[in-house]
Amino acid sequence: MSDADQPTETDGEFNPAAPNTGEEFEPVDVFPDSDDFDLRPGSDSCYKCSTCDTNCPVAEVDDEFPGPKFQGPEQWRLKQRDDEHEIDDSVMDCSNCMRCDNACPAGVPLSQMHNTARGEYVSEQMDTWSIEYWRNRILSNYRTSAWLASKLPRLANVVMNFGPARWVMEKTMGVTKEREFPAFATETFREWWARQGGADASRQRARANRERRGEPVDADKKVAYFHGCYSNYNTTEVGKAMVRVFEQFGYEVVVPKQKCSGTPMFANGMLDDARRHAEVNVSSMRDLVDQGYDAIASCTSCSMALRQEYPELFDIPGIDDVAANTFESLEYLRIHEDLRGELAEVEVDGELAEEFAYHAPCHARNQGLERQALELFRDVDGVGIEDVGESCSGISGTYGWKAEKYEKSMEIGEEMFEHMAEAEGETGMTECPTCAMQMEHGTGYDIRHPLELLEAALVDGDGL
Amino acid sequence: MASAPHIAVIGGGSTGIGIARDLSMRGLDVTLVEQGNLTHGTTGRMHGLLHSGGRYAVADQASATECIEENRVLREIASHCVEMTGGLFVKRPEDTEEYFQEKLAGCAECGIPAEVVSREQARAVEPHLAKDIDKAITVPDGAIDPFRLVVANAASAMEHGARIETHTTVTDLLVEEGEVVGIEVEHDSGSGKRVHGTEGGREEIRADYVVNATGAWAGRIGEMADVDIEVRPSKGVMTIMNVRQVDTVINRCRPKGDADIIVPHETTAILGTTDEEVEDPAEYPEEQWEVDLMIDELKELVPMLEEARTIRSFWGVRPLYEPPDVGSDDPTDITRDYFLLDHETRDDLPGMTSIVGGKFTTYRMMGEEISDHVCNQFGIDADCRTADVPLPGSEDFSLLRDYMDEFGLRSPIGRRSVERLGSRAEEVLKTTDPNPVVCNCEGVTRAEIQDAIEQSGSDLNAVRIRTRASMGNCQGGFCCHRMANELHGEYDEAVARQAWDELLAERWKGQRHALWGEQLSQAMLNYALHATTQNRDNDPADGEPVDFAAFDAGSTPAQSSGESGVAADGGTEHGD
Ligand SMILES: Cc1cc2nc3c(=O)[nH]c(=O)nc-3n(C[C@H](O)[C@H](O)[C@H](O)COP(=O)(O)OP(=O)(O)OC[C@H]3O[C@@H](n4cnc5c(N)ncnc54)[C@H](O)[C@@H]3O)c2cc1C
Ligand code: SF4
Ligand code: SF4
Repeated sequence: MSDADQPTETDGEFNPAAPNTGEEFEPVDVFPDSDDFDLRPGSDSCYKCSTCDTNCPVAEVDDEFPGPKFQGPEQWRLKQRDDEHEIDDSVMDCSNCMRCDNACPAGVPLSQMHNTARGEYVSEQMDTWSIEYWRNRILSNYRTSAWLASKLPRLANVVMNFGPARWVMEKTMGVTKEREFPAFATETFREWWARQGGADASRQRARANRERRGEPVDADKKVAYFHGCYSNYNTTEVGKAMVRVFEQFGYEVVVPKQKCSGTPMFANGMLDDARRHAEVNVSSMRDLVDQGYDAIASCTSCSMALRQEYPELFDIPGIDDVAANTFESLEYLRIHEDLRGELAEVEVDGELAEEFAYHAPCHARNQGLERQALELFRDVDGVGIEDVGESCSGISGTYGWKAEKYEKSMEIGEEMFEHMAEAEGETGMTECPTCAMQMEHGTGYDIRHPLELLEAALVDGDGL
Repeated sequence: MASAPHIAVIGGGSTGIGIARDLSMRGLDVTLVEQGNLTHGTTGRMHGLLHSGGRYAVADQASATECIEENRVLREIASHCVEMTGGLFVKRPEDTEEYFQEKLAGCAECGIPAEVVSREQARAVEPHLAKDIDKAITVPDGAIDPFRLVVANAASAMEHGARIETHTTVTDLLVEEGEVVGIEVEHDSGSGKRVHGTEGGREEIRADYVVNATGAWAGRIGEMADVDIEVRPSKGVMTIMNVRQVDTVINRCRPKGDADIIVPHETTAILGTTDEEVEDPAEYPEEQWEVDLMIDELKELVPMLEEARTIRSFWGVRPLYEPPDVGSDDPTDITRDYFLLDHETRDDLPGMTSIVGGKFTTYRMMGEEISDHVCNQFGIDADCRTADVPLPGSEDFSLLRDYMDEFGLRSPIGRRSVERLGSRAEEVLKTTDPNPVVCNCEGVTRAEIQDAIEQSGSDLNAVRIRTRASMGNCQGGFCCHRMANELHGEYDEAVARQAWDELLAERWKGQRHALWGEQLSQAMLNYALHATTQNRDNDPADGEPVDFAAFDAGSTPAQSSGESGVAADGGTEHGD
């Protein structure tokens, strides 16, 4: 391998500007049937420029946190493949916002390194009897708590935000009492979906809409909706908007069996839990992808998990096909439909005729989606939209819920709060449910999902 | 005995330093001189394999037996320099079953513990091994750090009263009445620790006996007294990978050949090597095809090497010797054994013995034999203790600690530091002063750098070999200046600048044969940073000291009148 024959090694074309995407090395399962990867070769791409460090929101506010460069390529390079080489506990301070991934010019698989190290730390070094472990486990298994709460949503809403109860939770569990628990919907999205007649009814409605739109009635337009936990248990209006908008464009929607995407579990190093959930998700999505469905998520962290984290961390049959066919909802419509053209024809009035202060979630940035809502809505009559900048909201899922991280989370969010206050509108917009939580917590604004605005703009009131 | 005889040892490689330790522990008065740093010669340019003897088990069983013996000794006395990685002799389908069986039998004959493992077992140990290998033999190979080992031997020799002079070249042998009575040397920068800019000078060192341990240079010393020592220097290349693709020594199980071994070394893996005779041990061509050969051949054992990042390549010369009557054509046929050449019996020149050939792994045994020989000259009957007394740093130490609690260090950094420092860890790392990381790639802190500076003066290359600072993937791009900064306090600006220049030059040199792909990006970034932030591409201050007093203090805001400690260059005084 000399300089002479180097250029022809990749795709036959030498492109000095093409970063090493990290695809060149294939991490090897250290032990068959486990998720332990040897990521040392991943640090080959790092040339220590520190761009990742300067982009890490946690390093900015937390002097004790050594930053992504140390935590990723440096720590992995110093590691050896025996159990004696411990992972530094600072990996638990990383919020898994994945900004470093996006910042790195050299394609170092940073978040894969963090996630793998965190998984190893939690399974090998963390005391599973510790309160921190159980607190993290409960936070990351939000789906389970939410499922419980949804059985008696009204009671749960009262109890979870009952002052003395919250004080006890902070003292015993380390869950901050500063935040309001999100309200649980009295009817889950899935209950609503079943009540609407499920997939069969969706097919009928989609056909009718295709006909109305002058498209072939039997056009192959079908998507599988990955609603995630939050749209199911809390903001069901987002899930409903997704269904209505997609059907409006003639897509048949199915809502397959699914569990948590795993995002909060990755952030807490609960890789075993995450894997169990991923197996269910991949297996149900894989069958649908085989039948020509695309997987659509309305939460940018869910789409991120399915398309990037799953294939990086797990070896599940069909995982690459699912990853390659997963999209975020707006992204998908922007690819396949003339959204701007249709929006140019309409005017929004009513409740959502607002000025929006839009925040792009970090995980949306990683998928290159940080401009989509702005580009779509800025010319729509009746609404305004303003970007509140590129800072991180600071909550990063479960991070901001931890009592010891609450202050830092708010410090990270400060820039966003300020920009929201300065923006014209008093309604926020974002694709990520936990960013929404933080935006609301910091400003008191109502926060909407872009799908809700699309629904208001494009779906006639008499849909379903 | 009135006073102990004074022995001059020439050569600060593993052989010379082993002799110096042994003789001084036996109570002799020793002076060792070395023209460069310790390990300047072949010792600093070797593969780092602590031989189990497996490699010689078929063709050179005498060497193999010595290796396994010394392998066991070094694990005990040099535990902080040795990593017992274990080794594998891997058979590919193209390699003959016959040789595999010979290897196995040879190991048994030499007392080398060896076992056959299946492909699955081998790949469970080393998952990056090629999928199509047949099987392997396990042997107790290890990895050894030559720098640390030599430095620890030097420290021990000095504890026993030896004088060690680096950057001191032997320019002549003092011969009186047909007998060697000493050496004439040229000091590069005064005697003792090296400090740049210190005036050098000549010195005559009279000695009761001289030991020539200059390896590939032995013939040059011989010439000074008109004796012939037929060393046949043979070069070999080694290529350093950025990370450890393997944690076990991987040998190809076939008769001797080029590019057949990968040794995990500290944070890296080193590929090697070749065997080609050269004229001059100091000047020989270094060619890219040699590096290419390493990767092309060894990727058959570990396919991922093809795409992996190399950070450096370097060459070393073996000091091969064979008695004049053998006459091998191919250097690979020359024995790896060592020879003790007593010039009194051989050349009628009393007062000097040369030791040539051998291996790093057997350095202690060579030292023992020649020390016995020297003691015999003076009728001294003293036991060799080098096999029993651990080296400084290799006394009991543990790697299972809470690094944050004990040293305030992140665990991977604390662990690497203790791996390097061994039993000296507490002494060096327990400090109440701020202890930032100076070299991020290798995890080296200020305390360790300061400890090295205390040992070796202003020579930053000597600091480098002691600590590994600047030996990681950025190859000094981000830490050379920080290391130079650590000289501040003890040394002035001109000294720091010279030391810094020298370190940078050394770091660039070895990267010449790694400049493609990732290391090329690294080099470009390093260059740009050094040019733009340090004016390294064209430094007007180079050569002359900067007159800091000529800078004004800047405008002093009224409220900060109390803070007069701000230096004219904008920084605050710290660190001394
Ligand atoms: C490519 C290669 C790989 C190797 N790998 C291994 C291995 O993995 N394991 C192993 O056990 N062995 C290995 N060896 C062998 C081993 O490195 C050598 O046998 C050993 O290091 C020789 O040490 P030495 O002290 O005899 O020579 P050197 O280290 O060369 O020491 C001689 C010293 O004398 C100094 N000197 C010369 N002239 C003068 C002078 N006039 N005045 C003052 N000083 C002078 C030189 O500067 C030099 O430092 C390898 C050798 C090579 C070439
Ligand atoms: S994921 Fe976010 S918090 Fe974690 S290291 Fe990267 S940038 Fe920092
Ligand atoms: S941004 Fe990428 S290349 Fe730069 S230091 Fe971070 S990981 Fe290394």
